[in-house]
Amino acid sequence: MTDEREITLTINGTEHTLEVEPRRLLVHAIREDLDMTGTHIGCDTGNCGACTILKDGEPIKSCLMFAAQADGAEILTVEGMEDLPEATDLHPLQEGFKAEHGLQCGYCTPGMLMAGKALLDENPDPDEETIRDAISGNLCRCTGYQNIVSSIEYAADELADRTATDGGAVTAEPGGGDGPGADDAEAVCGQSECCGGPDADLFERDYPTEDTDT
Amino acid sequence: MKSAPFEHHEPTTVDEAVSLLESLDGPTILSGGQSLVPMLRFRLANPDVVVDINGIDSLDYLHEEDGYLRIGALARHADVEDSSLIDETYGSFADVAPLVADPQVRNRGTVVGSVAQADPKGDWGSILLAHDGEVIARGPDGERTIPADEFFLLPYDTTLDDTELITEVRVPTPAPREGSAYHKLKRKTGDYAMAGVAARLVLDDDDVIETARLGMTAVDITNARATDAEAHLEGERPSSELFEEAGGLAAEESNPESDEHGDAGYKERMVDVLAQRALGDAAERAGLVKRRVSQ
Ligand SMILES: Cc1cc2nc3c(=O)[nH]c(=O)nc-3n(C[C@H](O)[C@H](O)[C@H](O)COP(=O)(O)OP(=O)(O)OC[C@H]3O[C@@H](n4cnc5c(N)ncnc54)[C@H](O)[C@@H]3O)c2cc1C
Ligand code: FES
Ligand code: FES
Repeated sequence: MTDEREITLTINGTEHTLEVEPRRLLVHAIREDLDMTGTHIGCDTGNCGACTILKDGEPIKSCLMFAAQADGAEILTVEGMEDLPEATDLHPLQEGFKAEHGLQCGYCTPGMLMAGKALLDENPDPDEETIRDAISGNLCRCTGYQNIVSSIEYAADELADRTATDGGAVTAEPGGGDGPGADDAEAVCGQSECCGGPDADLFERDYPTEDTDT
Repeated sequence: MKSAPFEHHEPTTVDEAVSLLESLDGPTILSGGQSLVPMLRFRLANPDVVVDINGIDSLDYLHEEDGYLRIGALARHADVEDSSLIDETYGSFADVAPLVADPQVRNRGTVVGSVAQADPKGDWGSILLAHDGEVIARGPDGERTIPADEFFLLPYDTTLDDTELITEVRVPTPAPREGSAYHKLKRKTGDYAMAGVAARLVLDDDDVIETARLGMTAVDITNARATDAEAHLEGERPSSELFEEAGGLAAEESNPESDEHGDAGYKERMVDVLAQRALGDAAERAGLVKRRVSQ
């Protein structure tokens, strides 16, 4: 039984059948066998959260589980976010990270998005403390976390706005349209079909430093 | 690093698991994997055979029955955190569950796996000690009940036999005037404890402490009780002076080591402070909380 064994993983709605050794970690199966490198490996020891995925809706660290143990599971990775029902071009969380500068190097981002997704699925209106708790298993060496918290708040507001205006139906507004932050961006760059992202002027804002802790 | 190759067995019943443990050579039990997987990867553990118990559905429970809160081997930390049973009545459980690791680890790691891991920095051992808990083990010769007091031997070493599987840990359901609490000091969110103290108090009708228990985390070679402090508390009425004295005694009884988190003297001081806070919360909960009668 050290031999390879056939398993089936449904990742982002697509079924994949693969042969794995019992010692194959889920994260390696996803990244190396299936070539989906959106899920990152930061530490390989369960500490950083970069490898976070949703397994049957729950966030777990895919470096702390063997692939064979996930046989038959439904898995969501960052690659699947833009195809979720609540996504337009991007998922509101991804829009949030873009609009609120929720990333710098981006290494932690896939894990942060997964942790954020798990949180909003369970609690669509989290306060700051709840958000910080939900991302407490995810390390970021760049942002100081403040903007990650704002990014998740952005997504929560965006999803709430949609529910309020159209009962949750998906609107096709590129760049996250009416979420907080987008107004700023539009005011500065003034283009109607703009990405909703930052204009050079926004970089002159005072950003919190890394002293702001999770 | 990759784990060394191993055979992966997935029993679906306790009987099947126990007979695998008996018949296979050098098996290791895999539960939540939140400690074992990194140990396999660093080759600190090199079993030829892994008996994965995640498919034994009968071990997935957390409920009150026959005067005990029973936690099955597959109850995850998150199950305790989310359980409607775990409120002020089980104050120390409510305190500790969200303080273990982080949300992802809590979704996989189990209470029983933590106890089996016997890491002196693990939180659950202290809770079990403070609650006069028991470990229920199944082996080739049947079932055995091991008091928590007799379970932990050394770091990562317990009185459990290689052919035994823990099916459950349990604690008596709280007495009518019982309160408990857990306080943990850690460097950052999600870390293991630098020091931790679980306290449990049972009061009699005259507000005298009938039973006192203190379980300490990360300040000895195993999770350990502070028995001198417990003896000092019993027979007295709760007061901040009494708790200060007990905190001092617990600090004296602890044996922390200096490391990058702090020196031994600092940690002893923290045991004192954490014990006082945990006792304060426990006393308040013992006095104020209306008990469900569930025995
Ligand atoms: C990033 C990180 C942070 C953490 N922080 C904390 C913390 O703050 N506090 C804390 O207490 N823990 C912490 N942990 C450890 C976590 O609680 C683990 O869940 C726990 O130590 C082991 O439980 P498990 O179910 O994952 O067991 P596994 O990793 O599967 O097994 C651990 C050991 O117990 C044995 N075992 C497991 N189940 C049984 C059983 N039913 N019968 C007999 N033997 C068994 C295994 O053979 C193995 O030797 C942390 C872990 C990580 C990765
Ligand atoms: S790579 Fe899995 S937690 Fe860091
Ligand atoms: S953006 Fe660089 S680690 Fe988070």
